[in-house]
Amino acid sequence: MSEHTPETSHPQAGRGSGAAGATETEAARAAYARYDRTTSRWGRATMAVALLVSVSAPLLLILLTDLSPTAGQLLTAFLAVAAVFGMFWVVEPVTYYPVLGPAAMYQAFMIGNIANKLLPSAIVAQAAIEARPGTRRAELAAVMAICGAAVVHIVSLVLFVGIGGTWLVAQLPESVVEVAQLYIFPAIIGAVVVQLAAYVKQVRVVVIALAVAAVVQLLLVPRMGDLFAGFATAIVVFATMALAWALRDRRAHAA
Amino acid sequence: MSDYVNLVPLWICALVVFAVILVQSAIYMRAASQAGPELGFTRRDLRRSFVSGGVAAIGPSLAVVIVAVALLALFGTPAVLLRIGLVGSAATETSSAELAATTVGGGLGGEGWTPEVFAVAFFAMAMSGGMWMVGTLLLTPALKRGDTRLRQVNPALMAIVPSAALVGAFASLGVAELPKSGVHVLTVAVSAVTMTGCLLLARALHAAWLREWGLGISIIVGLVVAYVAHQAA
Repeated sequence: MSEHTPETSHPQAGRGSGAAGATETEAARAAYARYDRTTSRWGRATMAVALLVSVSAPLLLILLTDLSPTAGQLLTAFLAVAAVFGMFWVVEPVTYYPVLGPAAMYQAFMIGNIANKLLPSAIVAQAAIEARPGTRRAELAAVMAICGAAVVHIVSLVLFVGIGGTWLVAQLPESVVEVAQLYIFPAIIGAVVVQLAAYVKQVRVVVIALAVAAVVQLLLVPRMGDLFAGFATAIVVFATMALAWALRDRRAHAA
Repeated sequence: MSDYVNLVPLWICALVVFAVILVQSAIYMRAASQAGPELGFTRRDLRRSFVSGGVAAIGPSLAVVIVAVALLALFGTPAVLLRIGLVGSAATETSSAELAATTVGGGLGGEGWTPEVFAVAFFAMAMSGGMWMVGTLLLTPALKRGDTRLRQVNPALMAIVPSAALVGAFASLGVAELPKSGVHVLTVAVSAVTMTGCLLLARALHAAWLREWGLGISIIVGLVVAYVAHQAA
């Protein structure tokens, strides 16, 4: 998934037409309606363009070169990813909506880094102008803070990754590049599992996940062939969800 | 490989996406500056919000830069800019790439990392990241209308099932690295231990920045140890 679920402290950027409604003047209501229309229309339009361009990049790579993966291979790869992350395509927008409000949704799910970058920026900005959470001022402050964060995000990526990083990698000896390619994923995944375990604070879920992963990846994958290997993580995800629910601590989660 | 990952149209796509993000910010700022005066949000508030939001984002942005640079050797600059610049994170993007590569019998890096495998992995990453945007485009208008059905899910279910799915996904991908080689086992372990150290230090020293930088630090320490072990092996 791209973002963790939001922290408990949040900027309460917007709650649709709620919160500030009662004390608003006619002029304020009209101004907000205009702002809402503009940001929704253009927020959607810009996000749709970014979506199309980002998906067309790999398609251009395939069309413009001699590479020719089959449609079946592309579909299988997509399904393997969808089976693992698909739930979050729905869960995350629904979870973040009350925190972000409609305008910032189109910013946040384009830029990413919501919990670690955008929400902290929004909270800092609201404190800087002393905006009370839940007000229109707070909502605008959050959206402007995300604009500032977006500019910093783009500038840092262009300067330090696009230019600096590309230069750096070109200077590295072949042996270093080879190791970086081979071991980047294990170097990421070990840290991510620990980070996530610390974040969710549910020992039971972590133990279940590791046990299921060990059974599927170490015992079943070597015996079951390539197609199974492609969907092994999806199987772990569904088994972990089912077991975590069945074996939940019923006192802690009264349901 | 370099010819493929650095194809000029990929660079153009990355730059267009960045331009679109900046255009969106410009439109939002214009809308806020027009509506602001009626809503008690002055030009000064606007400027201060923008600047303080930007300054607050510097640390987290640099932490992301470190991680993105580490990915350059694998995916090339345009793909990294497109994936990390948009909604993806290092964890989801490399996981999507690894999942996709496995379905065509390849893997990240080494012999199995051919231009064909890269194309399939890049496609899967772009589609997966794209679906987060599709979800947002479809759900935001519904949520705005106050469609409460979407939120009427059992809270205990919501407390357990998404975190179980997430931990399950990354635990599975982590365990799948272990049978590949002794150096893979070592790298996963070093990365995990380094992150544990960062999180404990962050708590002991009340240093929140260590939590942000933890992933970048763990990747670098993991890769350095992998390099030494790989040369020795």
